[in-house]
Amino acid sequence: MAEVVFSSWGRNIVDNRAGGDADLASLKVRLPESYLTEGKVGAFIGWDGLVVMDKTTDVVTLVAAYMQRVQEDYCCAKCSPGRKGTRVLQDTLKRIISGQGKEQDLDALEAAATLLEHCKCTLCMTSAVPVLDSLKYFRDDYRAYLRGERSSTPAKAYRGKLTAPCIDKCPAHIDIPSYIEEIKEYRHVEALGSIRRNMPIPAVCGRVCPHPCETACRRALVDEPVSIMVLKRVASDHEWMHHHQPPMAPKNPTGKKVMVVGAGPAGLTCAYYLALEGHKVKIIDMLNEPGGTVAVGIPDYRMPRPLLQREADIISALGVEIEYGVKLGRDVSLRELKEQYDAVFLGTGAFKSKPMGVEGEDQGYEGFSEGGIHYLRAVALDEGMVTPKRVIVVGGGNTAIDCVRVALREGAKESILVYRRTRKEMPAESYEVDDAEEENVQFEFLRNPTKLVVENNKVVGVEVIKMELGEPDDSGRRRPQEVPGSEYVIPCDMVIPAIGQDPDLSYLEDGDYGINQTRWNSIVTKGGTMMTDNEGVFAGGDCEYGAMTVVLAVGHGRRAARAMHRYLTEGKAYLDEEDAMEDVINNLGVFDKNEQIGILGGLHREHQPKVAGAERAQNYGEIELSMPESQAVREAERCLRCYRVGMVAVND
Amino acid sequence: MIKLTIDGKAVEVAAGATILEAAEKAGVRIPTLCFLKKVSPTGACRLCVVEIDGVEKPMTACNTPVADGIVVTTQSEQLAKIRRQTIELLLVNHPLDCPVCDAGGECELQNVCYDHNVVSQPFAAEDVSAATIDHWPLIQQVPNRCVLCEKCVKVCYETVGSGALFINDKGDKAFIDKDLDKCEFCGNCVAVCPTGTMISKTFKFKARPWELKKTPSVCTACSAQCQIDINSSKGQILRITSDDTTVNNGNLCLGGFFSYGYSNSPQRLTAPLLKVQGRQQPVSWDAAFAATVTGLKQVAPAAVAGLASPRLTNEENYLFQKLFRVTLGSNNIDSEARFGALRTYRTLRAALNLQGASNRLDRIGVAQAILVFGCDVTAEAPAVDWQIQQATRKGDAKLVVANMRAVKLDRQANATLPYRPGSGATLAMALTKVILDRGLADQDYLNRFVVNLDELQADLAQVDLDQAAAVTGIARELIEEAAGYLGGADSVALIFGADVSKGSEAEATIAALANLALVSGALHGDCGGLFPLDEKGNMQGLLDMGVCPELLPGGHDYAAGAPFAKAWNVTLPAGGCNAGEILAGIESGEIRTLYLAATNPLVSFPESARWRKALEKIEFLVVQDILATELTLMADVVLPGATPFEKSGTVTAADQRINVLRKALDPVGEAREDGAILAELYARLSGGVRPEMSTVQLEIKQLSGIYNDTCFVTDAACWKASFSPADKSLRYTPVASQTVPTDDFQLLSGKILFHFGTTSTCAPGPNEVAPSGYIEMNAVDADRIGVKAGDTVKVVTTVGETAGPARVSSKVPAGLIFSPYHFADVNIQQVIPADTNLVTVQVTKG
Repeated sequence: MAEVVFSSWGRNIVDNRAGGDADLASLKVRLPESYLTEGKVGAFIGWDGLVVMDKTTDVVTLVAAYMQRVQEDYCCAKCSPGRKGTRVLQDTLKRIISGQGKEQDLDALEAAATLLEHCKCTLCMTSAVPVLDSLKYFRDDYRAYLRGERSSTPAKAYRGKLTAPCIDKCPAHIDIPSYIEEIKEYRHVEALGSIRRNMPIPAVCGRVCPHPCETACRRALVDEPVSIMVLKRVASDHEWMHHHQPPMAPKNPTGKKVMVVGAGPAGLTCAYYLALEGHKVKIIDMLNEPGGTVAVGIPDYRMPRPLLQREADIISALGVEIEYGVKLGRDVSLRELKEQYDAVFLGTGAFKSKPMGVEGEDQGYEGFSEGGIHYLRAVALDEGMVTPKRVIVVGGGNTAIDCVRVALREGAKESILVYRRTRKEMPAESYEVDDAEEENVQFEFLRNPTKLVVENNKVVGVEVIKMELGEPDDSGRRRPQEVPGSEYVIPCDMVIPAIGQDPDLSYLEDGDYGINQTRWNSIVTKGGTMMTDNEGVFAGGDCEYGAMTVVLAVGHGRRAARAMHRYLTEGKAYLDEEDAMEDVINNLGVFDKNEQIGILGGLHREHQPKVAGAERAQNYGEIELSMPESQAVREAERCLRCYRVGMVAVND
Repeated sequence: MIKLTIDGKAVEVAAGATILEAAEKAGVRIPTLCFLKKVSPTGACRLCVVEIDGVEKPMTACNTPVADGIVVTTQSEQLAKIRRQTIELLLVNHPLDCPVCDAGGECELQNVCYDHNVVSQPFAAEDVSAATIDHWPLIQQVPNRCVLCEKCVKVCYETVGSGALFINDKGDKAFIDKDLDKCEFCGNCVAVCPTGTMISKTFKFKARPWELKKTPSVCTACSAQCQIDINSSKGQILRITSDDTTVNNGNLCLGGFFSYGYSNSPQRLTAPLLKVQGRQQPVSWDAAFAATVTGLKQVAPAAVAGLASPRLTNEENYLFQKLFRVTLGSNNIDSEARFGALRTYRTLRAALNLQGASNRLDRIGVAQAILVFGCDVTAEAPAVDWQIQQATRKGDAKLVVANMRAVKLDRQANATLPYRPGSGATLAMALTKVILDRGLADQDYLNRFVVNLDELQADLAQVDLDQAAAVTGIARELIEEAAGYLGGADSVALIFGADVSKGSEAEATIAALANLALVSGALHGDCGGLFPLDEKGNMQGLLDMGVCPELLPGGHDYAAGAPFAKAWNVTLPAGGCNAGEILAGIESGEIRTLYLAATNPLVSFPESARWRKALEKIEFLVVQDILATELTLMADVVLPGATPFEKSGTVTAADQRINVLRKALDPVGEAREDGAILAELYARLSGGVRPEMSTVQLEIKQLSGIYNDTCFVTDAACWKASFSPADKSLRYTPVASQTVPTDDFQLLSGKILFHFGTTSTCAPGPNEVAPSGYIEMNAVDADRIGVKAGDTVKVVTTVGETAGPARVSSKVPAGLIFSPYHFADVNIQQVIPADTNLVTVQVTKG
């Protein structure tokens, strides 16, 4: 493990220059020892201090290089101290390392760096942190320069990245502060442009994203997190509500052909970014419409399908061909695709329901659904699914919630959710549980099915056992334990298990593709490039990670497209500075939940209007209505614009 | 309400207010540099930092909402240091060219330096500022003077809606850049710039700000009539400014900011001219008046005619009509209102008893839905565009734009309805039907106010939406969507303009829009309204003063003129020719003497070529105007008048607001105020005393009946009585179904943003961005007739032909040709018939 010579990261000062040992692991600073194949990481400099691993590091030069990047590459110039202050810092540092420095320059550095505390956003503000650290702990190095005893020794390379806690936490790494600032300035068209740099299906992720970004929102440390997801929807709504044509246009054709398998979020995203680069992309999908699980697994009252179709149409308009009703492994083999295309992306999702593990579930009884995702799909595709009067759904995730609510809309008089823990532990979004409750869904918490009760080959009830919560398990949630002898039967006409999905990778069985799989039946990819062990075959989304979120699929799709573009044009799938630093910083972590922000709070988060409880359960009309733009601007005003810059020094 | 304390003063403000607003209320001044009330807070300068008890970090007052019970301190040692050091940073590499900087003396950076005792510079950095930008027309940008406050960027985007300005580059190299294609050259960026970064080229190096005399007045470039300050020195106008407390929020357009230059033009008429033996020569006023009186008197009253102008004040127009009716015994008076505004006036009066707009312009900005119909608002009344920007951008209003060609507002429209030329009434009726059918109309309102509701319902039941879609060329779904916006809103502003009022079948279209106004709810409630727009400055005043054969001042019917006859102690002359009849009368020899007051039929009237021929036949032509043109060359007597900057009087805005023009400088040379000229002529022709302005105003008040409640002398603008119809007083007007021209090309003439009538073509500012006429067409049409941009195009209609350079753009759909009417070079009006601004045309490569 890499030794740490000096660290001020997280305000925890460790100084081993005069001896002593500490390593990154013991400091819980998750930095890599080397950067790609370029060399060893000698130091890291960023918003929370300095970490020096190589004792030959020229810290003053490191700080000067960092400040040059902050000023020239990232400083938005939207406030006076930031714009001018970082320039003063850059030039003063440059004077010092070129041997022109004077004693009073150190005072000027300190004064300018201190003044950055009053910047509009935290980009330049946090960039002062390592400068002040260096002035405090490496003052002798500065003095050596001032005395003319030292000349500058830069690292082999410096690699930097602009980030923010929300950007880092978002699996698609959308530049969230940028689009929020644009909404604040009433520039919805530009906001959507910023979103589309990382996310081509904003209508979807503005509605059904679990928004991990909001769990890393610094505003929450003051009052409540910014409603980042809904602001994305506002930008997206603005476009179609004004009949605007999206402005994107592909680059000149490259002559390369790419096959994308699956028109879900991962596939659509991958196709979008490849098409923009000028590649000829074709998508095949086993369904007859775009969206994959978003289309048939998320009910229309949450995600209206005409808007999903519009997103796909926008992607088609970039020259992407989509052929529906074609299933990999059934209608075409991966081998054929490999022969016909220059690269293949697998975005085949995870739509195989996990079994509940209860007696009778494999018997094909009438009234037993194969799984929540199947039930939702059968309803969405109007496949003649008849929903009886009394329905039990087993599970606590979003799919389970979708099932109980859809069952009501399909005519169930009683729709009951059975979950083995309590409401608090449910993985579903809490607002969705509230929504279900408002629609008169019944909840049976701390119950676990043990057996299907069947008469004449038809489900008439489910036997459940009472549960209680024990010690927390690996996931941090308290483990449910059965209460012996507490079994009883809940009568019902239908049981829908909704406890999770796995990928279906049967299409890999028709030959030896050399594609490794995990023990959870998902595809293995390499080094963040999303390329499988089969050169030219990439994978992303649920089939790579296991059933996860739309936004993760989007992140995968984009990352894959970037690597595929390099593979197609340069013959090699690799990570560039943006990708690699994205991973370095993601591993390090940006959000500090213990940070003291020290500003005036008390501003509540804005909520979009909503159709009221019982009336909405009658139909599939969208429940959440568009947030008025004036309200969105108020919400955007709450953003603290938590930009920050990190940089590694790479040595030989 | 939220209670807080600022510097020991207790203050209460509404929730959502900022600390800066609370401080203003408490009378505490917090320093700012980037704050501009009319746009969203930027928080760039950081000078408004304040301390709050219990809050660790200083907060910026401009964008921090108040919280209950907070205790705010605005002055402390810490704050003073932050502010001083921030200013020191701002001054790093700021050039010391204050002596030659246009902002010197009115520079907010100078002010904050002075206020904060910034006298030294501890910081140094390389100067990486971008080079001065000199290639933009009219405006120069000096990046090293810029503090990046973004006021210009925000006013450009949020207020004007142009969005031309943006921040380019990163860090200290960042500078304000511009997308020239989007720039409207309104000058608002110059007006809001706190330093000498954005500079007006027409003002640069002309004066020190403190030497300028500021005369509050009103801009008459268009009918929105923004309030302005005329900045003059040594008898010349040097610039126009406007204060943020005005009805226009301190905003101006190119017409207000840059077009004053015609007033200083070398083309100005500086002395009376009299044609002697075919040659004009300068004469004394006495000689000119004498010749005019003789000329006007030498023929029978029925052979004398006069045309007045929306460029004249209310008093001048009043005097003009009275001079003709009382002293000459002729009712042959008219104006260019005949070609548009008068049709609107008569149609809306008949249907709704409305003599102009139903509400104030600022009520557009708070409407929930806006329909702009047959109107390039941006060009015809820029200040109305800004209201729409406000409503749509900040007020969540829905916008529907119905226009034959693409206009700037399309960008913000929720629905654009590009109806086929000639199908406007059909579209309006279809929209009305959808609102009624969907139950979106306020039935109680209709029951109460509409006198013939049964007829309305019966007629609308007959409207066939599919047929309307076919006629207008707009998908039925889009018509329904648009109607949904209008019907679904609590308040609706309905705005229409030149393409309706000057177009073919204007009366039918206006009637259809009046019906739509009734049913959509535009006519009731405090927000929104019905807004007929006319581009000309005092068009409303011209109409109100009754300068046409059929109306008397106040809109009274000429036939019911007894009170006027009594007050004037005359028998009102019988008959009376309107503009068209005057033209025919000249051609037939029945009209032999013509008085043109501030109007030029040779360029701005339809059939301008026919007018030219006719004027050559006139035996005695009096032209009262400000600029020497080919028209003044034809005159027997030229009476040099005054620009709006050189005279006093009142004018009436599109929304019935009566504004006071204040004289900022004397008329150039021997030129006189138009009112004085008309008063002197009145005295000489009547043999009585010269009417004083105050007497004229009193008479207008007494006789017109509509200017009763208003005053002519107050400093603030005042409004005529608001629209409040009596029960069962509003009338649905049946509209006959339309036939749409199917000919190949239709030619539309109209106004462009960069010019205001014809006078602005004598101003250097507007001419720099729009120097000459052109013929605009779609690329499809250009290909079809084989022309490229810049090639000469010949246009031929039933009334004449002309030629001009082609401009190829996507703003006009295939089949529609557009040409601006301002320019004497192309003189497009010579091919436009009298009753329309849209005509079938043959277009060929010239």
